Amino acid sequence: MTTTTLPAATAVSARAGAVRVTAVHMGIVAGVLAVTAGAFFEVRPPEAYGVCMACHGRDLVNWTINMLAGTHLTVAPASLVFPALTTIGVLLGALLGATTSGEFRWWSPDSSLKTFAYGVLVMNCALLAGGCSIRLLLRSAAGEALGVVGFGGMVVGVVLGTFWLRWRATR
Amino acid sequence: MTVAVATLVIGVILGYLGQRSRMCFVGGIRDFVLVRDTYLLRGLIAFGLTAWLAFPLAALVGGARSGSFGLSDVVTVVFTILGGFGVGYFSTLANGCPLRQHVLAAQGVRSSIAYLAGFFIGAVLFHAWTAPLLFRWLP
Repeated sequence: MTTTTLPAATAVSARAGAVRVTAVHMGIVAGVLAVTAGAFFEVRPPEAYGVCMACHGRDLVNWTINMLAGTHLTVAPASLVFPALTTIGVLLGALLGATTSGEFRWWSPDSSLKTFAYGVLVMNCALLAGGCSIRLLLRSAAGEALGVVGFGGMVVGVVLGTFWLRWRATR
Repeated sequence: MTVAVATLVIGVILGYLGQRSRMCFVGGIRDFVLVRDTYLLRGLIAFGLTAWLAFPLAALVGGARSGSFGLSDVVTVVFTILGGFGVGYFSTLANGCPLRQHVLAAQGVRSSIAYLAGFFIGAVLFHAWTAPLLFRWLP
């Protein structure tokens, strides 16, 4: 572990193995990969299904339960034979990034019970809307009117949520 | 099998880049409203623009063409708006979009691991409970 007194970000970027990536780089790569997955790697139907943390997570969980318990929980057509493994990939990739840059550390900034409830709520809302924040934007980009509507709802939700956070902090 | 391998590889790339860039798909709007910081917002816009350009380009070079999107009924539109609103609102309160929570969980944040547990249990709850309940009330 480093014992430097520098702020974490500066200390990390000074270390060997810590690659600098900006959000714009990430956005461009994610956009290309999300489209490529649907167009060339059979991650469809439904359309614009390349990257979605909620739907792909749902596919993986429901597919596994269907396999083990013989139930018939909903799975997207793209994941019928073998499920999308985006969630596992993201966990592995982030673990790789965190360990190579020395940013991995056990801590808990929030109450686990509260975030558990948020997890349930976000997943239910995401499946109702047909996509997490990423896929709502991906569907909008693909030209689906319903995706634009859902993304608009999400933007309103984020703005109101931010106002609520600010109101609670300044009360 | 193609789907599983492709999404696993894409997931590893996105997870690594997401960890390095602190990318969050709701954090951009939140930071802009709160402190007029555009770092994450630029990432969100870059994703949207790239995907918007890449869809027709991919179809041009021989990728699978996306089918036409049919007209939707009022119920679907209302559900999509409500669901989208809930995704935005609760993600903001949970301090990050689902992708960001996955990345944080892999960084050792325990509350995000609890979030993921709720996330995956929520998927089963939705199909076993929420969806049947909603569609029972509707024609």
